[in-house]
Amino acid sequence: MIKIEHLSKNFGTLNVLRDISVEIGEGEVVSIIGPSGTGKSTFLRCINLLDQPSGGSIRIRGVDILAPRTDIAKIRQKMNMVFQSFNLFSHLSVLENLTLAPVKLLGKSPEEARTKGLQLLKLVGLAEKYAFCPDELSGGQKQRVAIARCLAMEPEIILFDEPTSALDPTMISEVLSVIRRLARQGLTMLIVTHEMDFARDVSSRVLYMDEGVIYEQGRPREIFDSPKREKTRAFIRKQQSSFHHISSAVFDLYALNAEIEGFCSRLAVGLKSRQNLLLLVEEVLQLSIGSPSSFPLDLTVNYEEKTDMLELLCETPPGTMNPLQLEGEQAGIGLRIVTNILEKHEFQQSAEKNRLVLYLKKQ
Amino acid sequence: MIIQTMKEGAGLVVTVSGRMDAVTAPEYEQKFEEMLSNGETDFVIDFEKLEYISSAGLRALLSTSKKIRNKNGKIHLANVCGNVREVFDISGFTGIFQVHGSVAEALAVIAG
Repeated sequence: MIKIEHLSKNFGTLNVLRDISVEIGEGEVVSIIGPSGTGKSTFLRCINLLDQPSGGSIRIRGVDILAPRTDIAKIRQKMNMVFQSFNLFSHLSVLENLTLAPVKLLGKSPEEARTKGLQLLKLVGLAEKYAFCPDELSGGQKQRVAIARCLAMEPEIILFDEPTSALDPTMISEVLSVIRRLARQGLTMLIVTHEMDFARDVSSRVLYMDEGVIYEQGRPREIFDSPKREKTRAFIRKQQSSFHHISSAVFDLYALNAEIEGFCSRLAVGLKSRQNLLLLVEEVLQLSIGSPSSFPLDLTVNYEEKTDMLELLCETPPGTMNPLQLEGEQAGIGLRIVTNILEKHEFQQSAEKNRLVLYLKKQ
Repeated sequence: MIIQTMKEGAGLVVTVSGRMDAVTAPEYEQKFEEMLSNGETDFVIDFEKLEYISSAGLRALLSTSKKIRNKNGKIHLANVCGNVREVFDISGFTGIFQVHGSVAEALAVIAG
């Protein structure tokens, strides 16, 4: 139904979307998740042509919507959008908000639009509020009116741009339950959301966006339970990271310790875990000094709030041997310490770099 | 790391405070070199104020103890506790050294 190829969007020198290719089938409910500022909303706005893409193509049912002679207004009727900030007309009643566009743009009679509008208000649970002004409604009610208004245009595709971000926590569920109901009705929907449980429940597919690309996609279970790629994992597991570049074997251990302690302190990592982490860092670096060509070395401390897990990622140039496989008396003491404070470790070699991931035992 | 020494009867009590790590371990070794060249042979090392030890610290400890023993000297440890004790235990060092609960206890053993 929607075919997007090599979509890009720049704002000046800033590449917000780099190279997005994805197909959305009819009736699919696709959630778009990812950190703030990674282009999720811009992606939706480009599909709806609220932002003009800088490159690539978007085809809706085979029609190239970026072609010069495309009727943008007609495209938007088929593909309506629900915004974070509702965008209701505050000087019109709830029902008038729903009937204005169908009368003006779809050529419906006022009576027909009114009947349909009342039906839709009933669908979103606000039938009795039809004569109210938007300002008399709560945030959740306003968003439900906005969804009903969107449906009044009988769209084939609905784009939701963080529909619950502007709402109080108590109002989020009423809006999500309306969207869930629409999903069950088979509408094609793209939803940018930070509500992970909702995305897991409602979606047929989840796109994880990062760095202006679709970094990983899959069924909700794949993305939420066993994400394959590092950044997806970090996002899903609410992982916080602290990155340290160590250019040579002569490094400032105390400055590094201070940075790691600061990171642990900010995240309220327990004292014992912190001590073991600092010990691990020193031991791994000492072992790396014993392994030729280990530098420059990139050290990343990852802390998973959800599971209270600390891990240390040590990336070295290709060809470096695993420091945990060093032999000899010099390495032996360090290895014994490391082995005892680790839960497990993984070593991966590739043509680009070697990765040693060390998981500290929980304290 | 701060190293303080005090002559107590038969031995020299060496109090080590702070950290024994890759940065400070050479300093520790150097200090013992000096003490050995000054004719000291019997040591009680008090770790009560030692906050952190890594394998670099343990290696320095091992290397100095070999030098002491080569001179027919004695080395006893006292007050190995907390995190330092844990590192001793997991690295097997508790079994290598004679570890005592207090400096007085260690001195008594040296005095024989």
